[in-house]
Parts: sequence; C-alpha cells; structure tokens
Amino acid sequence: MVMACRVMNERRHMGLQQLASFAETGRTFLGPVKSSKFIIDEERHESVLISSTVRLLESLDLTSAVGQLLSEAVQAQNNTYRTGTNTLLFLVGAWSSAAEECLHLGVPISLIVSVMSEGLDSCIEEVVSLQVPVYNVFDHMDNTKTFSGFETFSVSLGPFHQIPSDAGLIQKKHNLKDVASQSLTIYNLSGRPVKSPKLFRHQAKVEVDKDTSQTPQTLKNSLLADTCCRKSILIHSRHFNRTDNNQQMSKPDGFLEQHGAATPTTYRCNDLVELEMGLSHGDHSSMKLVDDAIRLQYQNASMQQGNRTMPFMFDISRIFTYCLPGLPEAFSCVCPGYITVTSISSTTLIKELQNQPVRVVLIEGDLTENYRHLGFNKSANIKTVLENTKVQQDSSEELWITHVLQVLSKFNVNLVLAQGNVSDHLIEKCIHSKRLVIGSVNGNVMQAFAEASGAVQVAYVTQVNENCVGNGVHVTFWGSIPLDVVDMVDRMTIMLNTEGINLVTVVLTSPVTAHMQAKEDRFWTCAYRLYYALKEQKVFLGGGAVEFLCLSHLQILAEQSLNKRNQVCSGWLRNTSSWLASSLALYRPTVLKCLASGWHRYLSTLIYNTASYSSEFEASTFIQHHLRNAVDSGSPSSYILNEYSKLNSGIFNSGISNKLEQIARVYDIVTPKIEAWRRALDLVLLVLQTDSEIITGLGHTQINSQVSEGFLFL
Amino acid sequence: MSRFEAKKPSLCKSEPLTSERVRATLSVLKGIVTSCYGPLGRLKQLHNSLGGSVCTTSQSSALLANLSVTHPILKILTTSMQNHVSCFSDCGLFTAILCCNLIENAQRIGLTPSTVIKLNKHLLRLCISYLKSEACGCRIPVDFSSTQILLCLVRSILTSKPASMLTRKEIDHISTLILRAFLLTIPENTEDHIILGESIIVPLKGQRVIDSTVLPGILIEMSEVQLMKGLPVKKSDSLKVALFCASLSGDLSDTGEGTVVVSYGVSLENAVLDQLLNLGRQLVSDHVDLVMCQKVIHPSLKQFLSMHRVIAVDRVGVALMEPLSKVTGSQPIGSLGSISPSSYGSVKDLCTAKFGFKHFFHLIPNEATVCSLLLCNRNDTAWDELKLTCQTALHVLQLTLKEPCVLLGGGCTETHLAAYIRHKTCNEPESILKDEGCNQTELHLITEAFCSALESLAASLEHDGGEILTDMKYGHFWSLQADSPSIVNWPDLLSRCGCGLYNSQEELSWSFLRSTCHPFAPQTCLPHEAAGSANYLTLDCFTAKLNGLQVAVETANLILDLSYVIEDKN
Repeated sequence: MVMACRVMNERRHMGLQQLASFAETGRTFLGPVKSSKFIIDEERHESVLISSTVRLLESLDLTSAVGQLLSEAVQAQNNTYRTGTNTLLFLVGAWSSAAEECLHLGVPISLIVSVMSEGLDSCIEEVVSLQVPVYNVFDHMDNTKTFSGFETFSVSLGPFHQIPSDAGLIQKKHNLKDVASQSLTIYNLSGRPVKSPKLFRHQAKVEVDKDTSQTPQTLKNSLLADTCCRKSILIHSRHFNRTDNNQQMSKPDGFLEQHGAATPTTYRCNDLVELEMGLSHGDHSSMKLVDDAIRLQYQNASMQQGNRTMPFMFDISRIFTYCLPGLPEAFSCVCPGYITVTSISSTTLIKELQNQPVRVVLIEGDLTENYRHLGFNKSANIKTVLENTKVQQDSSEELWITHVLQVLSKFNVNLVLAQGNVSDHLIEKCIHSKRLVIGSVNGNVMQAFAEASGAVQVAYVTQVNENCVGNGVHVTFWGSIPLDVVDMVDRMTIMLNTEGINLVTVVLTSPVTAHMQAKEDRFWTCAYRLYYALKEQKVFLGGGAVEFLCLSHLQILAEQSLNKRNQVCSGWLRNTSSWLASSLALYRPTVLKCLASGWHRYLSTLIYNTASYSSEFEASTFIQHHLRNAVDSGSPSSYILNEYSKLNSGIFNSGISNKLEQIARVYDIVTPKIEAWRRALDLVLLVLQTDSEIITGLGHTQINSQVSEGFLFL
Repeated sequence: MSRFEAKKPSLCKSEPLTSERVRATLSVLKGIVTSCYGPLGRLKQLHNSLGGSVCTTSQSSALLANLSVTHPILKILTTSMQNHVSCFSDCGLFTAILCCNLIENAQRIGLTPSTVIKLNKHLLRLCISYLKSEACGCRIPVDFSSTQILLCLVRSILTSKPASMLTRKEIDHISTLILRAFLLTIPENTEDHIILGESIIVPLKGQRVIDSTVLPGILIEMSEVQLMKGLPVKKSDSLKVALFCASLSGDLSDTGEGTVVVSYGVSLENAVLDQLLNLGRQLVSDHVDLVMCQKVIHPSLKQFLSMHRVIAVDRVGVALMEPLSKVTGSQPIGSLGSISPSSYGSVKDLCTAKFGFKHFFHLIPNEATVCSLLLCNRNDTAWDELKLTCQTALHVLQLTLKEPCVLLGGGCTETHLAAYIRHKTCNEPESILKDEGCNQTELHLITEAFCSALESLAASLEHDGGEILTDMKYGHFWSLQADSPSIVNWPDLLSRCGCGLYNSQEELSWSFLRSTCHPFAPQTCLPHEAAGSANYLTLDCFTAKLNGLQVAVETANLILDLSYVIEDKN
C-alpha cells in the first residue's frame, strides 16, 4: 500500500474551482421555472430527463473527493428535508467563487472561514424578522374555498367543480356502498384555466392598460407579448408574480414596488389555501394535489375523532404516490385508500369481492416458500432423504402453497398484502380460490391498513391467528380512468379501502413517461414544503425576500465595519488570541462583500430564470438599485415589508377580485431553507480549509499514469 | 511438479536516516501533521480516489488510521503515535510534530546519536519533574466544584478540530452536553474507588447540531412497526429484563463440516422454533417484562411474547451489550436452554422517544451511570469528526478526574517549558555535565535543539503567515501579524497570549520566538486568581500531554539510534 498526498492549495484553489463548476450545472434549477436537462449515457444509449439537483447528482460521475462531499451534502439535505437542494447547490457554487475571490485578494483562510461563518449566522438572526406565523389554518377548512379557487381567477370561469367543457375532463363522483360516501369522493383535478387563451388576453390587456398609464416606453409593446407568453405559467410564481413583472416592464426599478402607499403590516397566515398558494412556488398542479390530500386527511381525522380534542396534524407518511405514465396530466387525482395495479386475470375475482367487506392478512416480508426473516441463516449442508419408498408427488413448494391456502381459508381471508415479493404460483392458486394477493406494498401502506383494519403484520403465514386478521377492507376497480385511454395491456387498477383508513393515494399521470419521475419529485417537494410550514408553524416571506434581506444586511455590516475600523469584533474569531483577531477589522468588509455577492448572484439568477429579464446583467442592475434603496432606508427589513404591503394594495384592486390580493404573498419554509444555506457554506468552508488530498491504497504506477505532477509519496 | 527458488538475501541498509528518501518522506509526514495542528489547522481529504467515502479531518486518530506508510522508520513513528492516541485520545499531533522536530534538529547539529539520546533523556526528565512540581507555571489545578475549567478544557478540544464545522454557539452547546454526559457517568455513592459509567454516542446524522442532547439511560433505535405495538402497563415499580447474546432467530447453530442427513418429514427449523417457544414460555412464567436480544428474534417468538405482553427488542447490537448488562444487572444469556433466574435484571422504566425521523426505546435504569449522547451534525464527514472529538473530550475528562490538573494551551506550555529548560541548563549546567559526562558545547547545542523543537511545535499553530513572539516574563506564546510596524505598537497589536491568561497591557517585553535571546527565568508560580479569572482559557489535558512529550522524545531517540535496517526480501 502506498499513500500519496497532493497539495492542492496554492493561490488558485482546485477544490473550490471544482465545487463551482459542479454547481454551475444546476444553475437552471433555481426558481420556479426549471429548465430540464437530458443526461445521455453514451455507452448504453440511455438518457434521462431531469429537473432537480438530486436527480442531476445521481446521474453525474462524482468520483473526485470534492464531488463526493458535494453529493453527500445534497443527499443529507434531501434525506432530512426533501427540499432546498437546488438552493444548496447554487449557493455552493456562488460561495465557492466568493471564497476564491477572497483568496485572490489575499485574505488569510482562517479569516475567510470565521467571517463568512459568522456573517451567515448574523443573516440567519436577521431574517427572523421576515417570519410569518402560521396558525389555526385548519379552522377554516370547512368553508368552500379550495385551492383551485385561486387558479380560476378569471371571473368567467367557475369554481373548481364546474369544469369548463372544453377541458375535456371527466368529473365523476364515485360512491361505494357500505362505506361513508363522503370519504370516497374521488377528486379530479380541474382544468388549468390559466392556460386558456381567453384568460391570457384578458390579463395582457390589463397590463397594457397599466403600462400606458405609467411612463410610456417604446420597447414595451413588443416585449410585452413575448414576456407574457414566456411567463404564462408563472402567474403565481413565488419569485416575481405578474404584478411586479408588469411593473418591471414599465419601470426598470419596479421590484416589489407599487403605487399607493401602504404602511407595513404585521403578517400572519391563518388560511390554508393562502399558505398553499404561497408555498406552491408556481407549481399549482402539484400543490393542488397536496391540498386535496390534506383535505382528505382532515376529513378523515374529523370523522374518526368526532369532537376533536387532538389538533389535526398533517401526516405525510400516510400519503402515497402512484404513478400512471401515459395518461394526460389532467387525470392526476387524489383518492382515499390504496391504489395499485393487479393482473387482468383477477378481474372476475375482484368483481366477486367488490360487494362485500373482506378480511385481510398483512405479511411483512416476501410471500414465497424460501423466504426467511432477516437475520436467519440457512444451513447449506442439510440434506433430506426419503426413508421409505412411498412416492411423494408434491414438491415442497406445492406443499407450502397448500398450507398457505389452508390457513387463508381457515381464517376466511380473501386479501393478502405483502411487503415483499409474492410467488407467482401462489397468486395463481389464490385467484382460483377467490383470494387476492398483492405484493410489493409500501411499508406505510401496510401500517395504515394495520391501524384501520385491526390486522397485525406477521412474517410468516404460519403465524396467522384470529388476532392477526383485519376486517372490513373493500376492493373495487378504480374506474375513474376510461379503460380505452389507458394503454395497459394486461394490468388493471384497483382500489383498496377500509373505513377510517388514514391513507391517501395520489395518482400522478403524465403523458410523457420521461416526465413521470420529475412530476413525482415535484409533488413531494410541495408536500414537504407544506409539511414543514405546518410543523414549524412559521414561514418566511418568500419571493427572494429573505435572500434580499441577507444581501442588504451584509451590505450594511460591511459598510459599518469599514467606517468603524477599530471596533472590537474579536468575538467573530474562533481563536481570539491569534493575530487574526486584531486584523479582523481590516479584512472583514472584503469578506462580507464577497459573501453578499453570493446572495446577489442567487437573486439575479433567480430573476433571470423567471424570465423577466433578458440578461443576468439587467437582473443584477435591478437588484443593485433596490439594494441601494434598502440600505439607505436604514432598515432593510421594514423596507421589504413595506414593499410587500404595497404589492397587496396594488394593481389587482381595480381588477378582478378582491381575493386575489393574497396571490402576492409567496412563502418559503424556514428551517430547511436555513439549513440549506448552512450546509452550502459548511461545504465551501470545509473545502476551503483543505490543503491536501491524501490518497490511500494506490500503487505508484496508478498515480504515475495519471498526472504525476504535484504528488508526494510516503 | 514443484519448483524451488533460491532465497533472496536480506537487504541491509546502514545509517537509514542519512538516506535522501527517508528525509524526504519524513518531511512529507511532518508537513502533513504540522499543517493540521491547532484550531486554525488545515484539513486533509482522505480517500482512495476510486469513489470510496471521503474523510475530511485534521485529527491525528483519523489521519493515522488511514495513513499507510512503507518505510520502517516512518512505521515506528506512526505506530508509537497510534499507541499514544489509543491510550490518551488527545495530543497525537503534538507528539508527532515534536518527534519529527527532534529528529530533524538532532540531525542538523551532527553530534553522535548516543550523546543526543543521553541528553534528550535528561532534558525530558527535567521537563517532567518541572511539570509535575508545585512550582510549575503552566499548570492549573482543577476545581471539580465549578464547571469553568472543565468547560474551557472541553471547549479547547472542540475548537481545535475545525473539521467538525461548529459555530461558536454550537461549540458552547456541545461542550455543555459533553460535560453533562461526563458527569452522568460518575456514580453518586462513591466508596473506595469510583467505577465510571459510560456515555454512548447515538448517531443522528442530518439534523442540526443544536438538536443534540444528552439523556440518562440507554437509547435503542426501533422501527415504527414496533412503536405501533405500544408499551405494556407497568406491573410494579421496575421491569424484569432478560438479555440475550445468543441469536434467537431460529436458525441452526453451526452444524460443522459434512452433511446433516434428515429424513423426510422432519423439519429442523420447526424443532428449533419449538425450542424457542419453550424458552418464550419460560420467560413468560418467570414474569419477564422485557426481552432484549443482541441479534435477531424469530418473528413467531416475538409474536408469542407480545401476546403475553412482553416487549421484545431485537438487533440491539454488540456495542450496547455491555452497558445494557451493566445498567440492568443482568447476565447476557448465551444458550436456548433453561435460564437461571440469576440472569435476569431489571430497569426502572421504559418509554419511547422520537428524535428527527428516528424512534427510540429509552431505557431508564435504576441507578444510572450510563447516558446517551444523541449527536447531530449536518453531514457524514462532519459528524464522524465530531464523534471522534466528543470521544476525545470525554476521555480527556476522565483522565483529568484521575489527575486533577490541566496545562495551559495555545502554545504557552511549550514556549514556557522551552524558556525554563534553557534557563535551567544555562544556569545550573554542572550537575548535568557531571551526570551525563558531556561537555558544555554539547549540552548547549542539544538544549538548543530540544528547546527549538518545542518552540517550533508551538509555532506550528500559526498557518496564515503570522509571527510568533514570546514574552520575557512568563515565557508565553503571542502571535503577531507579519511585517508589523515598530515594537512600540506591540501592546496594541497583541491582544492576549495563546492560552488567554495574560493580556498585552501589563508592561511586558517581547522577542521573536526564533531569534536568539538570552535565557531568562520564566515566572513560575501562577497568579492565584488565574484559575478563577479568565472565562475563555485555552487548556490542554495534563496526562495526555505529559505522555505525549515522553513518547515523542523516546520515539525520536529510538529512531536516532537506528543504525541498520534489515529487510527480508522473500
């Protein structure tokens, strides 16, 4: 074993450069408009369509040490919060460049580390002022306002249940006998009226009117059409909604600014739809599904509890997604219970089962003869011999199947759910004896059925006794999708349900199979955003507000430390006795500015990505302008709050509906976002402080064949 | 057909230290350890460049565990460092750097190894007797009735490991937790000798550091399915516990070589299961409330137990077995035969807890000297580093309990010690010269080599190009920006000494560390108020540093003494 050591830290820091270039690949994922990417495997001629950081890093070859650390950081964020990875990746890139800039300017590494770390801490304290408390959102659940109410914001379009005929959708209420009909309503997604050309024209007209009333501009009209089309699906984008886009068109300095002065108001959020709207970040179709899911859970919880004593909690573990590729998006919907596919050969069986409650057994592992529980070691050297000549015809599998069938019939069980695989032979035999066996069932689904039906999960069929068997499960065809639309040759969709089950299946459809994964990811992103908002009972004002506050806060800090050179800020250094403590004041403004430049890049990319500007440079000028205003105002947070309230009293007042003022509010989740920042900076600082790579277990030759320059051997 | 090959002759190299390659590799190793040293040290990425996990660290234990060195001389060095670290956890880099410095300096002066070794040993004795003496000016007694010194000690250890990526607030939080965890391991009723308990570090990766916490008792991770089954009502004021180290998974114990022949219709699996169920019946009739197993419990047995309202916890893991046996007072049961009643133990209570996404059983013992430190950090690399750091800190606290004093950190002990040795050999050389039979020049050269090894060790704390000064009164360590203006401004530019005990405003005079200055007697006795006054002292573990010093000098002596390396080439 030979160990080599490569010193990587000279003026240009290789690690930081690597980080920056990795991060560059994810630049287009920032913000509500994500450009998808094709990743093509040249060897195998396979390609995947991706539109998120996690999927991107999954497909990239990140064998270098820095790449590994990056993907580790992204994975950790994703596993913990399921959101915030795009921010994380972008900031890693922005701050790597910022740290490198500091190195170029000759700032000692230890100072960069201290000042950046404390600078971010200070930002995190500062943004508390933009937190919006979320409470009692479930108090208004019973009223008719649903999420889609906002989507249909043209007056001509009715509420969600009255689907315009041209949408070509099927609105079907599916009632089953013996089960409370309320919980079995099948919710279909309304059309996307936003896309309707009529609405578009209507909006465009408003904009034009506004524009002419403002300072006339020559380019305006030609640009307008283009911009409108480009941002058509972004009306409620968290970042810059139509209102301010419009303003930006007419006034280059129109950030969140509106005419009509208003005083900053204290924000709070106690309306679920408003919260969902704010957290959807432009992805209404996904948030709509989340809304339906949470409403189903809420209804279920109220029914279960009667007079509720426990506050309702959104239980994300009891939401299950089921993907049906090949169908138009409009077929996506949310249903109570469990939806899955089964072979077409069980059609008759299901017809027979569907009119009665059936008894169910839950199997934890595989349902095959050879399956043994985890931790069981099979002895290899055991041989069974036949002692007498009695001919034994049945194979051991057949014996086992017979035994399974005996048990099932003894306890009158017609449905078996197994978490693992199921022997095909057994499935077939069971169909003959009118029992349905479904394999590969998700663990949370099993859990939900265990709770609702009273079944106890077992590892082996031999364990089944009366106490383990659950009651009252209903099996039906899941018929809301016309069969001729579905291109499923020998499979069919069925629904399993039981009274009071705390389980919601979200059926996701997409005509483009390659999009399926992205659609599922997007659904979960929305779901987790809402989950964290409700769990933490607070959200941030979104749309770049927090990042903008960080930017202006750092700007102010940098200017302050420039003016007061001698101020004691040794608390900012880990090691107060080093000379660095006394020269901190000298370098602090530089480092803070570099850190702020990371936020600046973040914001300008965000605005550029939302298609309001033709270049990042324009976006950058726009931010610069507001930054100046915010800093000059003395209190950036009240400046931002002020801009926010102006927005609310703005353009929509004269227009369509009073309700719509709330569209302006865009929210962000708190802890996951802050943790993404911290993780990003931690990674950058970790790499910054690394001065050498130590490569273990490589022969001389292997390294020599690579670039042998810069290696030292031990 | 067999082939015979003539044996190759052994390879013998004389004076291994003079070889250019050895010098080069030694200096690479020195470069690695030196650049890692201290709170501002640089980090190393350890990986195999094939996509394996990456370890980012600056700790000796992680570095040494992953370094694979080839040359025998380097092996001697790394092995003795590893031995030191495994016994004392702390001061590994200190030892390694000092050892490298001593070797380098000894080679430079060109005296015969025997003289160098002799005098090094003598100087080491001087150091140790000074550090242990009452007059020692860089040692502070630890007062266990207040947490201040102990917190400073823990905080110094956390601060010196930058790869755990903690902010100041997080360092304070974790320091408090470590101290609390340590205090929980001290038994309340002490008789003749104390037997310390154990702090078990429970991983919770991905969460915020600030979410870390300490709980008395033991946490055992469990699945959500298990959570669903709920906990039984307590029948009395404690729960009866059976602890198994044997697997209860129902597989056949090792059948040995050859084949076992079984006649048709006989199922060995069922036979074993029957045995397990018999065992279960005994447990139930013995009124056991809680069955824990290191390995897997057969689902049927679990089902049987839960039907009789016995909680079964399996896959506890080998690491928890000893603490579990300790806190419950039960004997781990290793067979499926009948259980002797004396094997059972008891716990006070059992409840469930949720941290992050994980569910845990929380075992609350009757008399707790075992606690669980639930440790969170944002990513794997930083978590691993933090875990090592916490283990080091806990160990250092134990060592401090045995020998209740600490050394000043931040380089001050080293510069102070160097000043003391210089002064001592300069002013009272007679006894040394007589004892060791050497001349004045030799003594002077070797003292210089020894002291400058200590001083450049202290100077290794600086990584950003600053200058190191020492004051002429206490002999402490001060750092100064490079190319600073005139001496007049020094009191303003220097704020505090390395350990934080003295500040620059008290009429001190300084000189550059590497310049030749006249030997002076550093003030020995510490100001009495020192121990109480400063809130943020940088401190080092006394025992670990003392041993590190010894190991470094002895290893350097051993390496200097090598005259041949004989390699068997077969």
